[in-house]
Amino acid sequence: MDPHRPETDRRMKRALPLLAALWLAALAAPPAAPAQTAAAALAQGVRAYDDLEFDAAAGLLRRALAAEGAAALPPADAARALIYLAATEFLRERPDSARAVARRLVLANPRFRPDELVFPPQVLTFYEEVRRTTPAVIARAPADTAIRPGTEALAVRLYASTFHDVTATLATEDGRVVRNLYTGPISDSLDLHWNGLDSTGTGSPPNGRYAITVTSRDRGRRVVRILRLPLEVVQGRVDTLPYPAPPADSLLLPERQPLGPALRVLAPGAIAGLAIAVLPSVVARNEDASGARFAVGGTVTIVGIVAFLSHHPGRSIPGNAAHNQTLRDAWRREVAEVARRNAERARGMVGIRAGAPVLLTPEGP
Amino acid sequence: MSRALVIAWAAALSAPALAVQLHAQARWEVSVGASGAQEIVRSRPDTTRERRSGLVFTGEAVATRGRRLVARVRYGQGRVTADTGTPPSPRRNVVEGEALFGYKVRPWLTLWVGPHARTFVVTGLSDRRWLFWSGRATARGGLFPGVESFLELWQGFTGTLSRPAGSASGGGAEAGLELRLARRPLWARLGYRIEQGRANGGPRETVEAFTLTVGYVPLR
Repeated sequence: MDPHRPETDRRMKRALPLLAALWLAALAAPPAAPAQTAAAALAQGVRAYDDLEFDAAAGLLRRALAAEGAAALPPADAARALIYLAATEFLRERPDSARAVARRLVLANPRFRPDELVFPPQVLTFYEEVRRTTPAVIARAPADTAIRPGTEALAVRLYASTFHDVTATLATEDGRVVRNLYTGPISDSLDLHWNGLDSTGTGSPPNGRYAITVTSRDRGRRVVRILRLPLEVVQGRVDTLPYPAPPADSLLLPERQPLGPALRVLAPGAIAGLAIAVLPSVVARNEDASGARFAVGGTVTIVGIVAFLSHHPGRSIPGNAAHNQTLRDAWRREVAEVARRNAERARGMVGIRAGAPVLLTPEGP
Repeated sequence: MSRALVIAWAAALSAPALAVQLHAQARWEVSVGASGAQEIVRSRPDTTRERRSGLVFTGEAVATRGRRLVARVRYGQGRVTADTGTPPSPRRNVVEGEALFGYKVRPWLTLWVGPHARTFVVTGLSDRRWLFWSGRATARGGLFPGVESFLELWQGFTGTLSRPAGSASGGGAEAGLELRLARRPLWARLGYRIEQGRANGGPRETVEAFTLTVGYVPLR
C-alpha cells in the first residue's frame, strides 16, 4: 500500500473546486475586449506600413484610432498610431491629411518625437515642420495637493510643442481673473507657480472652482490655443487665537483725583458746621441762640471746604496716567500680535484639486 | 467756691502724675486740657426771662485704654452776670462737671454714659443744681491730618433740679474743631455747646458756650 496515497487524494479534493471556479470564470468572460481589437488593428496597421501596404495600413490605423471609451487606445499607443498614420498619409502623398493627423498628434502630446530609426528623414522633417507651426501646451499638475498660501506654491509644469508666447492666468469659472501667473515665452517647458493668494496678495480666494488658463499665441499674436486646467480650491479650517482681554480695572490706577476722599473730608466739616447752625432749634426750642455760633460753624465749614479742595478732586494724576498708558500699550501690542498671528493662520492650508486639462482651439484643428 | 477751684486745678495739675502711673499699669493714653468758655445762660424761672453771661474755666482729663474704653472727667467754674433786667439780678457763680465712661464702637464713634451736673450759686440763696444721668454719642471726622471736626449729642435719662426740687429732663449738643499737633503732644479745640434743662414745674435753663481749649497729652 502506497503511504503517500491519502495525501495525494486530499490535494486532489482541494484542487477540484478551484478548477471548477476557473472553468466557470472562463465561460463568463467576454469573447474579446475592444481594446484588444484596437491594439490588434494597430499592430496590423504597423505591419502593413512596414510592408509598404499603405492603403491597408491607413485603414487599419484609422480603425484603431476610431475606438472610443474603454475600447480606445492608451495615450502611448494612440500617439504611435497617429505618427504611423501621418507617415502613411505623407507617403501616400496626401499632405493635407498627413498634416491634420500630425497636428492632432502635436496637440495631444506636444513632447512627442518620432523615432528616427523607424521613419524616413522626409517624414521626420515633415512632422517637425508641423510641430513648429502648431503652438500648443499641455499641463501637468498634482491631482490633489495642499499649500500654505503666501509661503508655498502650487507648481504646474507646462510642456510646449514649440517656442511661442503664452499667457497664464488663474480665473473663476465665469472667467474673472483672480491672478495673473505668467506672460512671456515658453520653449520646451515652464513651471507655473501659484502661491495661493489672489491679486491683492493678502488672502486666498474663497472656496470654489477655478481654472488655470494658458493662452498660446502665434507669431502674429493671435490666440491659437487655450489650455484650461480646472482647479478646485478648498480652504482649510482655521483655528484662531483669542484676543487678550483689556487690562482689568483692578490693575488700572485712577487717572484723576477721585471725588470720594475729598467728600469724606468735606462731610465732617460740613455736618459739624451745619449742626452748629441748626442744633439750637433742636436742643433749645423757643430760645434765641447766639448768632456768634455762626462764626464757629462757619470756621468748621470753611476748614472742611479747604480740606475738600486740598484733595484736588478731578485733577489728573500724571504718574497713574503713564502707568495705565503703559498697560494699555502693552495690551494693544498683544492684540496686534494676535491679529497678525490670526491673519497668518487665516492663510492656513488650502487644498487644491486639479482636474483633467482641456485644450481648446479657437480656429479649429 | 475757691476751695472747689483749688481742688479742680489741683486735680488738673496732678493728672500728668496720675497718667504716668496709669501708663505703667496698662496701655493707657491720657490727655489733659484747660479751657475758657464764654457762657450765656438763659433762665426762665417762671414767666420772666433772664440772660446772663460770663467766663467759665474748665479742666478736663481723658483716659483711653486700648482702642475701646475711654473715660472723661471735666470740671469747670466761673461766674455769670445778668445782661438784662433792672436792677440787675445778683451775679451767679457757676460750677459744672461731668464724669463719663465711654466705649468706642467705631474709631470715629464713641458712646458715653455718666452724670453731668451744673450748679448756680447765689449768695444768700441755696444752690440751684441740675443733675442729669445722660447718654452721649460723639462722632469725629478727619479733615486734615491732625485736624478733626466733632459733634456730640447727649440726652438725659433722668435728672433732678434742686430748687425748686423736682425731676428734670434735658439734652444738649456740642460741635467744633480739634487740632492735634503732629510732633508735639499738644492739642487745641474750638467748640460751641448748647444745653437745656427743663424742670417739671416749669423752670427752664439754657446754656450756650463758646469754648477754646488747649491740651496736653502726657501719654500716648
